[in-house]
Amino acid sequence: MPSSTESAHEAPAGQDQEPEAQKRSDAAAPRRPSRTVRIVAGAVSVVGELLITAGVVLGLFVVYSLWWTNVLADREAARDSDAVRDLWEEQEQQEGDPGGTPADEPPPVFDPADGLGFLHIPAMTGTDILVKEGTGDDVLNGGVAGYYAGEPVESAMPWDEEGNFSLAAHRDGHGARFHNIHRIEEGDAIVFETKDTWYIYKVYAILPETSRYNTEVLDPIPEESGATEAGRYITLTTCTPIRTSRYRYIVWGELDRTVPVDENRTPPPELS
Amino acid sequence: MYGWIWRHLPGNTPVRALISLALVLGAVYTLFTWVFPWAEPLLPFGDVTVDGEAGGGGGEQRGAAG
Repeated sequence: MPSSTESAHEAPAGQDQEPEAQKRSDAAAPRRPSRTVRIVAGAVSVVGELLITAGVVLGLFVVYSLWWTNVLADREAARDSDAVRDLWEEQEQQEGDPGGTPADEPPPVFDPADGLGFLHIPAMTGTDILVKEGTGDDVLNGGVAGYYAGEPVESAMPWDEEGNFSLAAHRDGHGARFHNIHRIEEGDAIVFETKDTWYIYKVYAILPETSRYNTEVLDPIPEESGATEAGRYITLTTCTPIRTSRYRYIVWGELDRTVPVDENRTPPPELS
Repeated sequence: MYGWIWRHLPGNTPVRALISLALVLGAVYTLFTWVFPWAEPLLPFGDVTVDGEAGGGGGEQRGAAG
């Protein structure tokens, strides 16, 4: 520590002057602490204040992680969800009114990066979860679920004849879309809503804890869930236990049926 | 440290209190806007995906965080 070495060097010089200085002060005031004591006391108080500051900063980080990121993500997800719904409406109007579009206005283009559709899991949350392409921070921090897009697997799409529609979302912070994944039980419905179709899956297997390296849970036929033949599966992955990332929590569902979206977007009975 | 800052602030006590408050709010704003978003991906609290090779090339980019 610089301050202590400094005081050690200066101590001999200081001692020479001390007797004179003491004679003057002793008469009027009680003896002041020596220079060394004052420097040590000052250093201790600075270290103490830094430790208190570090504690406050860590506390603020918890507030940031568990609250502020949710505020930001909810805002972003609401905006992006509205954009997808608006796009669907626009497409619907153009389909219903061919030729009504001005020539200079190209039809809106569907981009899975903006949003594939909405996930509804009434057993877990009342919120519609927007699903986007990819499982990187940049996607999932927007308060959405993402489907695996190449790393480590390429997810199947719900409309594919067979395969595994594999999703990930945050358990805590950044919208915490899969926070209550532990409330899902076997037999519960997972509904995925696209512009034209409701895909209704039934949960048939849950793996409450597995290694983060266990990518087999995302296989087209996820054998760990007990599946033995090709089908249309959905897999939800998130971290567990809550507020840590030690393990992964897996929920598997299999497609029960699909229902076309009617003009009022009447939800299937599972959602009412 | 904080005592030193307090003694070096201009003005009387209410003015110093106001300036202190502004400094604290500025520090919190800086933390929430730049420091925490930078630090968060470096901490292992928010990985939610399963990903293959342990410590494989580019692995740190792949695990979703938050």
